[in-house]
Amino acid sequence: MPDTPAPAWARTALRIRWPLFVALVCLLPFALSDVWVQMLVFVGLFIVLGLGLNVVVGFAGLLDLGYVAFFAAGAYTMGLLTSPGSPIDSGLNFWLILPLGVLIASGVGLLLGLPVLPLRGDYLAIVTLGFGEIIRLFLINRDDLTRGSQGLSAIPRPELFGYRIDSFTAWFYFVIAAAVLVGFCTARLRDSRIGRAWEAIREDEDVAAAMGVNTTKYKLLAFATGAAIGGLGGVIYASFIGFISPAAFSLQVSIDVLAIVIIGGMGSTPGVILGSLILIGIPRILQFRETGDFLARLEWLRDGLNGLIGAVDAAAPGSIGRLPPAETWGAQLADDTRFIIFGALLVMVMVLRPSGLWPSTRRRLEFAHEESAPPAPVTAA
Amino acid sequence: MTPAELVVDGLGMQFEGLTALADVTLRVPAGEIHGLIGPNGAGKTTFFNCLTGFYRPTSGAIYLTGQRIDGLPPHVITGLGVARTFQNIRLFANMTVLENVLVGEHQHIAVGGTDILSTRRPVYPTAIERLLILRGFPRAAVNGVIEIAGAIVRPPRVRAAEAAAVARARDLLAAVGLRGRENDLARNLPYGDQRRLEIARALATRPSLLLLDEPTAGMNPQEAGAMVSLIRRIRDEFATTVILIEHQMRVVMGVCENITVLDYGRKIAEGPPAAIQRNPTVIEAYLGTRAIQGGGHAAP
Repeated sequence: MPDTPAPAWARTALRIRWPLFVALVCLLPFALSDVWVQMLVFVGLFIVLGLGLNVVVGFAGLLDLGYVAFFAAGAYTMGLLTSPGSPIDSGLNFWLILPLGVLIASGVGLLLGLPVLPLRGDYLAIVTLGFGEIIRLFLINRDDLTRGSQGLSAIPRPELFGYRIDSFTAWFYFVIAAAVLVGFCTARLRDSRIGRAWEAIREDEDVAAAMGVNTTKYKLLAFATGAAIGGLGGVIYASFIGFISPAAFSLQVSIDVLAIVIIGGMGSTPGVILGSLILIGIPRILQFRETGDFLARLEWLRDGLNGLIGAVDAAAPGSIGRLPPAETWGAQLADDTRFIIFGALLVMVMVLRPSGLWPSTRRRLEFAHEESAPPAPVTAA
Repeated sequence: MTPAELVVDGLGMQFEGLTALADVTLRVPAGEIHGLIGPNGAGKTTFFNCLTGFYRPTSGAIYLTGQRIDGLPPHVITGLGVARTFQNIRLFANMTVLENVLVGEHQHIAVGGTDILSTRRPVYPTAIERLLILRGFPRAAVNGVIEIAGAIVRPPRVRAAEAAAVARARDLLAAVGLRGRENDLARNLPYGDQRRLEIARALATRPSLLLLDEPTAGMNPQEAGAMVSLIRRIRDEFATTVILIEHQMRVVMGVCENITVLDYGRKIAEGPPAAIQRNPTVIEAYLGTRAIQGGGHAAP
């Protein structure tokens, strides 16, 4: 099929779409209140984590359920070296600890990568899952070093050109800068020899080796790269929150990040952004006071529903509870029912849009041609 | 590339109780097109898997132009000049045609940091070495970091290497008749084109020995004829030795200079096509005594 060249304006738009998007995002703090900006800092942080896991899962096809380990490695590097409560508080500058945290996290990535290299698919997922838990338990049990579940507090905030990154707005720009940097790096990696090697491994590891790809080396590189980005996220997180404890590094974080990647669309940068907005942003928005105030207007709906429940209860006496005040609905939804909604969303995406909400161009092709392809001569063994 | 000479000495491959190959000895001179035939399950593909490092043979030795290669990991063997295609086409189905060939060029894209081709490794490294990949690990790590940095920064050197690789890939695709399909997904190519793409991808590794596993399987006589001339052209233009596993006797007899016959993992005959056709042992192995002479499909 002949490719008709796109008109000049379309090509320009395509070229500047990312700078344009980032520029628009940078205007957001001017339009939003602090709670919104704070929410966006978390969204941005999870975009960074999502982009990192995307390298491992989306590019190289290695299912990693222990991603939180690298996040924790970065965060504890920051915490241990700067928290006054830490036995090895060094008072080092944030900008020195940042690369150190990234380095240590990628070291942890290699540590995980070495023993799991021969494993594939489900087995890999289970071992990485265990690894994530081991790190968390290590942080709890080595309380002589990490102060256990008490955690490390008063982690200082970074300064840049004499300006302390303190306000939510400053953090917002800092996190956006990190996300842009990571997004740029991962996109460059994807479109390189490394990216092709990863993709070949994802497609068929044996054949990749037969084409001269040192699969061991490239799988390790994928683990280390993903881990380094997770570590970056961890350093930023620790400094932003100012307090870390093992409870913050539960399996839930790994699952959140993985869900972001899968729901957004594996291997896709816009997908990670969208997934992060939905899975991290919406639960936080639901907990806003403003949301509660808004929902309070639904009190009539609650009255009506409670009346209905009352009628049912009267007809068949039992112990059906009544709905709580409407203004708490959002918070309840975000808290109690969040995982049910997560799960439902995950299942729905897998059924309705198996390539994710915003798949990469390639993935879109893969799934689009699934049915229209000629009688499947390709056998991916 | 100069074509390689292959010497296989007493090769055996044992899978817990099943002998897939037993004492196979074979010499393929440089530049020859050599046929490997035998009934289903005779061990032909197992033989290829041993040559390419997919399996570690349980006995015997394999020499590529004098260098022992058995027991080396697949990517190292590929780097030394052995390339292959697969019986059941195994393309990177969700990558484009061009990208498939670029993966084949992997070791020939100089992006900074030379790849570890630890060819000086003992042929049978110890279990611990295999497990930890300790040999060359620091160098591999340094190379990895250099490659990542190069991919992100994309200095002129990397851009040039990448552009040259793309140009070579396009040439290769043109050589096998796939010009204009560069940006199609491999899975969307028609069957015959997929076979040709597999060959282009194998050629991209710059082989001195090319192993083709049933290159004409599922093709009609006309397509098979085109494949035969392609194989001849490849041998001449790309200067490789070629070994092909083939069931279509017309193809085998037409293109091969010498033929080895395997049956139950043993070599039962070797020689030029005319001699093989008359060999009573071979005819017996194939059961259908007329099948070979008929020039049709020999396999049951």
